[in-house]
Amino acid sequence: MKDQLTKEEVLHVANLARIEISDKEIDKYQIELKQLLDDVEKINDVEGYDEDILIACWGENTNLRDDEIGNMLNPKEVIESAPRHSGNYIEVPVVLSDGEGA
Amino acid sequence: MSKYIPTIGIEVHVELKTNTKIFSSSKNGYGESANSLTNVIDLGYPGTLPTLNEEVINLAIKAATILNCKIRRQMHFDRKNYFYPDNPKNYQITQARTPIGYDGYVEIEVNGERKKIFIEEMHIEEDTCKSAHRGGVSLLDFNRAGVPLIEIVTKACISSSEEAKLYLEKLKELLFYGDISDCKMEEGSMRCDANVSIRENVKDPLGVKCEIKNIGSISNVAIAIEKEIERQEKLVDNHETFQEQTRRFDDKLNDTILMRVKETGNDYRYFPEPDIPYVELTDQMISSAVTSIPMLPDERRKLYISRGVSEINANKLIANRSLSDYLNQFIDTSLSFKEAVNLLLGDISGYLNKNEKTIYDTTLTKEKFLDLIKKMEENTLTSKNLKDILKQILESEDSIDTIIKKCNISNITDTKMLEDIVLKIINENEESVQDYKAGKDRAIKYLMGQIMKETRGSANPQIVNKILIRELNK
Repeated sequence: MKDQLTKEEVLHVANLARIEISDKEIDKYQIELKQLLDDVEKINDVEGYDEDILIACWGENTNLRDDEIGNMLNPKEVIESAPRHSGNYIEVPVVLSDGEGA
Repeated sequence: MSKYIPTIGIEVHVELKTNTKIFSSSKNGYGESANSLTNVIDLGYPGTLPTLNEEVINLAIKAATILNCKIRRQMHFDRKNYFYPDNPKNYQITQARTPIGYDGYVEIEVNGERKKIFIEEMHIEEDTCKSAHRGGVSLLDFNRAGVPLIEIVTKACISSSEEAKLYLEKLKELLFYGDISDCKMEEGSMRCDANVSIRENVKDPLGVKCEIKNIGSISNVAIAIEKEIERQEKLVDNHETFQEQTRRFDDKLNDTILMRVKETGNDYRYFPEPDIPYVELTDQMISSAVTSIPMLPDERRKLYISRGVSEINANKLIANRSLSDYLNQFIDTSLSFKEAVNLLLGDISGYLNKNEKTIYDTTLTKEKFLDLIKKMEENTLTSKNLKDILKQILESEDSIDTIIKKCNISNITDTKMLEDIVLKIINENEESVQDYKAGKDRAIKYLMGQIMKETRGSANPQIVNKILIRELNK
């Protein structure tokens, strides 16, 4: 097992997090991120691992809500709680020049 | 004929017709003032607890059934992590591991042959907020955040833009008739993405896949696929390599444009959503959803054709949901569907379109419609008469008989009176009578025309025809 991530892997993670990192930081994260991943991977050592255990940690399942309209926020309050707004819209800097999310 | 074989898969997002959002009790609405349909859950505030809307599960079971999918009895939700302002939680709640429906199909007809388009899976997820980009800033409207969606993913089994178009048309018809969604592409309640790749031989592995997003209409899906195939063919011809990527269709340029090189599934770091309990579907939930599915288009088509309606008219009627629903209330009666459909698609549609109404906005009750068709079949009301009183029939509460009386509509069925008129016309048109006797059948049409003119269109044509032929042959 290698003891550090490749430079490309660190840059890929940085890209996903949309952060810029310096060469010095890359060196550091190659080692630190690998140590973190190794720690997380210890979960695979648990015997009798079952997906259900992770998902339903309580007894009560299937808790559904009736399809009835409830209270909503005052639009003015919503808009003014954002740092910037334009008319009734919340304004944020463009993240990708052209596109949608998921 | 191109030397490449295209392989196409389609993903469709459909907004469900519920009163409230998927995880909050905010109203699920379209076209209302921006950011007026939200609460803390939709805005992704920390410390809030999403609760799953029962109607979402109900509609998803219906949709899965309509798409011939197997239904998963036990399921959970997952977080799809990504960074983008359309989802301030930085994750979208979706079903990555346990989609509610899987292994289904939609049947289409391609050049007279039936083909199954296989559905890989159908899952439930939340919609994101709507963003618009203007000069360096994005404007966000959270009314759409948390609107329930189902995403329907086909297998890569579509082999042309034509098949893609037929599949989408069929899917839209099914989901609309199933009352799952209003499927308005122009309002974004149905959105399509297409995955396109090409290869030279069926035995080759699939080529590099490009996803085209944000296609605004079914016809544009077909155009976008064609353009993407052309683009990839050129690249492959020139031995150029390209990466898996996301492109969007620009309807002004009529071409696809690169958006980004795609993140792979792992990059989304899916993990089970801990805030929403495991969902287990009971037999009762499934059967109550399935039994409430309305009659679907194929069944309607079969029914109408079996009752004498032409295939063309059956399709025209199905294209108009409210007229088709209206007609369906007469299934258990002996009503002539042929006559009824002619009337619904003809004069009645003319009136409805002109006045921007649906048939349910008129005063045409079930009894009144039965009476109307009966009178037309018996010819006590001619189509000419109908045109004169249609407005009253559709707008007043009066019975057909009362309207006929009030409007002074006379449809002359008095045989003695008609005989007198027929004899008068015969006497005045000696030449036409001779023509008829010389074997010119056209002459009879002329004489009929003269009689209708004399009676200002109110004579019963069947009775006149009978008398006229009898008198001419004397």
